[in-house]
Amino acid sequence: MSFDLNFIGILIGAIMASSVPLILAASGELITERSGVLNLGVEGMMIIGAISGFALMVVTDNLFFAVVGSMLSGLIISLIFGLLTQSLLTNHVATGLALTIFGIGMSAMIGKNFVGIPGKEFPLLFLNLKESIPFLGPIFFGHSILLYFAFGLPFLTNFFLKKTKIGLIIRAVGDSPTSASNQGINVTLVRYSCILYGGAMCGLAGSYLSLIYTPQWIENMTGGRGWIALALVVFATWSPIKVLIGALIFGGITILQLHMQAVGLRIPVQLLSALPYIMTIIVLVVISRDSRKIKLNTPTSLGQIFYKEK
Amino acid sequence: MNTKLKVSEISKIYPGCIANDKVSLEFGSGKIYALLGENGAGKSTLVKILSGVVKPDEGEVFLNNESIKLNSPLDAKKNNIGMVFQHFNLFETLSVFENLSIDSDKKDEELRALIKDILKKYNFKIDLDIPVLNLSAGQKQKVEIIRCLIRNPKVLIMDEPTSVLTEQETDDLFISLKQFSKDGILIIYITHKLKEVLSLCDEVAVMRKGKVVSVSNTIDEKIESLANKMVGENLNTIKKKINNFKNSEEILKISNLNFKSDDPYETNLNNLNLSLKKGECLGIAGISGNGQNELFQILSGEIITEGTSIMFRNKEISKLNPRERREYLMAFSPEDRISQAAVPELKIYENVALNNFKSSNFFEKGLVNEKKIKEHSKKILSNFSVNTDNVELKSQFLSGGNLQKLIIGRELITSPELLVCFNPTWGLDVGAINYIHETLIQINEHGKSSILISTDNDELLKLSDRICVIYKGKLSKIMNADTVTAEKLGILMGGGSID
Repeated sequence: MSFDLNFIGILIGAIMASSVPLILAASGELITERSGVLNLGVEGMMIIGAISGFALMVVTDNLFFAVVGSMLSGLIISLIFGLLTQSLLTNHVATGLALTIFGIGMSAMIGKNFVGIPGKEFPLLFLNLKESIPFLGPIFFGHSILLYFAFGLPFLTNFFLKKTKIGLIIRAVGDSPTSASNQGINVTLVRYSCILYGGAMCGLAGSYLSLIYTPQWIENMTGGRGWIALALVVFATWSPIKVLIGALIFGGITILQLHMQAVGLRIPVQLLSALPYIMTIIVLVVISRDSRKIKLNTPTSLGQIFYKEK
Repeated sequence: MNTKLKVSEISKIYPGCIANDKVSLEFGSGKIYALLGENGAGKSTLVKILSGVVKPDEGEVFLNNESIKLNSPLDAKKNNIGMVFQHFNLFETLSVFENLSIDSDKKDEELRALIKDILKKYNFKIDLDIPVLNLSAGQKQKVEIIRCLIRNPKVLIMDEPTSVLTEQETDDLFISLKQFSKDGILIIYITHKLKEVLSLCDEVAVMRKGKVVSVSNTIDEKIESLANKMVGENLNTIKKKINNFKNSEEILKISNLNFKSDDPYETNLNNLNLSLKKGECLGIAGISGNGQNELFQILSGEIITEGTSIMFRNKEISKLNPRERREYLMAFSPEDRISQAAVPELKIYENVALNNFKSSNFFEKGLVNEKKIKEHSKKILSNFSVNTDNVELKSQFLSGGNLQKLIIGRELITSPELLVCFNPTWGLDVGAINYIHETLIQINEHGKSSILISTDNDELLKLSDRICVIYKGKLSKIMNADTVTAEKLGILMGGGSID
């Protein structure tokens, strides 16, 4: 019995690990969207983060530089998006799509020389506790620092948006940039900051993939996780806690259906592979039914170009 | 404390239009000043300059004899100039308190206490912790005013504040404004409503085509004199003969109209019943957001509701779509000229073609019959005195008044039996309003019927044969227009009851 429990614990630990990149990227994108900016470049920023994290790790042999560097590279690539949409007033959707295409191509080009190089072991915390406590041990201990950070992030984000002045200003800008501007708020600055923060978080999410989750560089290794993160933000109706729930469900069903495939259930593989997507959407739609709350959480100006009257 | 505000030689030129042409004005505290003018006269540009939203090309602003720079809204705030815009600058999804705290550097508790003091002092009743989208227009405006009062303003500018208010709310606003004025705040009141100038303000400056054409004491003015100054010509007044429709044929009968919406921004309609006779004008009053939008969309067929019966010319039409209803001689003029009635990027004749009938033959074998449409459009332009004869002009270059004439003309040229219009003169200037009113009266004189949904009580009293009020999705009793007064309407519009 205790063996079974421990196995379930390990399974839950694995589910948590697989949802980390989604939580990080979605939390970042959530802040960006709350300021009224729709950045569809999440996938592109993640993959740039993944390759630059891995490349820096190989070149500097220092994991700290690698992680910080991946955030910086995500930030830099999101700056391109910021310049285009905020200063040159291009369309958010088209620019975001271009960013993703750019990111995937760019990462493949840089990554050419890094294919097949083995990764470095990332330090895991509380390994002894993981072994000594059955069931709870593998759930709570033996993870990388990024996982702990990712699981705290939605709560921090929630607090930041609801309780702090800057959070209030971000929500206000997302609600009505014109009003905010007339109140003397620098809308462009706020939106730039949110875009850059989102970029950094997506970069971080990418580096988790290439440094910790599957420590190596594989072309296109984000595999659509950026798009999942984007969808999570919308289906979670811009609530950070629901993003966390959604990411866990998605990660959970992904892992479970892999096990089901391994067991050899007589369900078509295609259906099992589609299950995480379907279930996540169903659950998030069900828990966010309250249309009134949706209205209050939705950034009204999402995707709208703002320019100041002169 | 005395405040003196002076604008000197202010000019602002936009491509193709001189919004302000060397405007010079002086104001002093203790008085309420009116800035009067038609749309496009330059009032809004001037107040945008005073509030730091727009920078002037030339000229200076002096506060207490010191020249001040107003490069951003922050500068206006720093100089204690408060501004309540016509279109509210509120964040709908944030709570009232969040809206007020966003630009304040005070601590939350301190700010809350200050707001409570203001609420008490001026007898405002607003729940600070509900989202702004739940407030009525009048309450939203109070939030805007409180936002200014928090900063101890020396100058308070109100831009067309009553366009969204009921009579009752307007009265309350005037009482508050007089109180602010007594407390030493200099008040500048922008409007194109003449009555308000006379009942509220001490001095009035009239603007026309970017220039100040007159400054005078309101005691020396009358409605007619101000109107003529504003328009620059003599206007004739309109009167409608009130008719007796007892023996006329019934043309429209609506029963059990119910509408339930999932959208919190929309209003549910609750068991509306009404009927209309040939040649009659039914006015529907109410503060905006009480279900007018939904009612209009149900009448026009944009929303189809279950269980509602709409009998028009002895035919059940409740399941017909807007185009089928038009074919059956109903016509519609929606509230929003730009987004609902016309496509601003299209040329005039293309907009005319949008309203096509089987009988009009605008399209032949799937091809556009441009010649026919253009002829038809020219006819509308000349019959309804739109100030252009160029059907190739993009509609966005028409002024509000001319666009409205085009829209009404497009609807009327097919001689419909019923015209439903929603705020047809919203935001128009006196000249255009007069024209539209005359047209609407003519419809009735020719034996056609009309439903006038409007938030302008003067307009309703002028044009309607019978009037009712819509409040929170319910209709009041339908009354004969000669028994109705503006006061009665005001009470009903605020949810009160009469007799």
